[in-house]
Amino acid sequence: MKDLAYLDAGSGSLIVQAVVGGVAGVAVAAKLYWRRLTSRFRKQPSEQD
Amino acid sequence: MVPPSSAPATSTTPETDLRPDPGSFRDPANRVLHADGQILRGLGPRAAEDWQALVGTEFFPRLIAEGKICGTEALEPQAVPASQAGQWSTVLRHERIPFVSYPYEWSFAMLRDAALLHLEILRTAVPAGFTTKDGSAYNLQWRGVEPVFIDIGSFEPARDGEPWAGYRQFCQTMLYPLLLQAHLGLDFQPWLRSRIDGLEAGQLRKLFDGTRRFRAGVLKHVHLHDAMQNRFAGASTGAVREQLKDAGFSRELVLATLRAIDKLVRRLDWQPPQSHWSDYRETCTYSDADREQKEEFVATALTEAGRPGLVLDLGANDGTYSRLAARHADYVVAVESDPAVVDQLYRRLSAEGERRILPLVMDLADPSPGGGWRGVERASFAARADADAVLALAVVHHLAIGRNVPLPEILDWLVGLMPTAGGDGRLVVEFVHPDDPMAVRLLANKPAGIFPDYHRDEFERLLAQRCTIVRRTELASGTRTLYVGTPRDRG
Repeated sequence: MKDLAYLDAGSGSLIVQAVVGGVAGVAVAAKLYWRRLTSRFRKQPSEQD
Repeated sequence: MVPPSSAPATSTTPETDLRPDPGSFRDPANRVLHADGQILRGLGPRAAEDWQALVGTEFFPRLIAEGKICGTEALEPQAVPASQAGQWSTVLRHERIPFVSYPYEWSFAMLRDAALLHLEILRTAVPAGFTTKDGSAYNLQWRGVEPVFIDIGSFEPARDGEPWAGYRQFCQTMLYPLLLQAHLGLDFQPWLRSRIDGLEAGQLRKLFDGTRRFRAGVLKHVHLHDAMQNRFAGASTGAVREQLKDAGFSRELVLATLRAIDKLVRRLDWQPPQSHWSDYRETCTYSDADREQKEEFVATALTEAGRPGLVLDLGANDGTYSRLAARHADYVVAVESDPAVVDQLYRRLSAEGERRILPLVMDLADPSPGGGWRGVERASFAARADADAVLALAVVHHLAIGRNVPLPEILDWLVGLMPTAGGDGRLVVEFVHPDDPMAVRLLANKPAGIFPDYHRDEFERLLAQRCTIVRRTELASGTRTLYVGTPRDRG
């Protein structure tokens, strides 16, 4: 795991910055969203609890 | 409390008084210390490495030279106080800020300028490969009306592909209070004063419902931000950082984000409403003769016993007497309860480039209390005040009649703001007689006879108990008396 800062930056607060940054950022946020979504489908069968 | 460790007696400087700053504990990598009137900062091994990298940059010394970052130098090992030797890898010494103030004592334009400075520093640091770990309004202080960035421990090398870790804190302590005032006209000071970590997106979202959500900056920084916080509440920031990096988050994107925030903050403005305080001087009862007499009295009081270091001008209004005091003292803190009046004063002083008057918003009947952890993370106003002179012009009647504060209490408080000045301290206080039109107006709203002790002889008797009265003058109008007193040694 990466070393984290003393301050909890907030996951949502990190992601929203991409959108604030304009068009390029929105693309990054969309890509992140897509990857999180697809990885969930991929992992689902082995991670049910 | 951890007792200071016994340290080697050689090659260090012994100190008589050393205490860690009670407001500096959140980042364990470094800590601010007070030693014999000096402001020091101890750095752990990692922070010391960051410091070495920081002083080697082009931007850091330049921003110090421009006055935007507080003056800082590393202490030679032999100058480190004995009790701290061995505890820190490096000890820094900071320039002293003349009077520590907090964002809940600043006006709108002050908070905005402080926010813009924070962004400017970050936008200068990022291209050089640095970032700040946080984004708090408490990273900033003032030299007069010039904001200055003080949290040297906040700088660290940036990791490529990561957004700014301080964004949420920046929103909570700076952007949201500004949105609140610019868009809704609500004074932000009470919100910041009651919440050390600032306003939360979820709280603000409730205030910006309906069409208000379309005001500048609100949709993204408040609504979307809150939705994202809720949506990703369970996701670890470490994992999200990795994912953002993989998705292509770049340093250019960090800069684009900062540019967008900067542009938004510059757009936010608040025009003070027409307040009766704004034209107080025009409508109040002073004649020109009274005013001249009063100015001369105050000037003499400040000059006759040597130049005062710190003057507190309580109830400063448009700053007339703060300006006068600044001609005879090193630094003046102009305290006024009306945020609109303070904002106007700040903008005027700022335009003039005045660096020795700090205007602050504070109700004298409700002075800033201690706050945060154990009530000492942020010091109370009284704990920060160590003045050489206090001006209390046209305020006693507001406290005594308007707010029912007993006269002995008022005088105790005023004298208590000069805890170390002793016989060199000066209290310049105006007593407004009960028959003065201003007092009459205030008394009209109270039951007859409620303040039997509110008269000049009693005030003078109480003042003489606490101060040696050096001089008194009755103004030409005959309804106001000015006093200058030096605090008695009450030890």
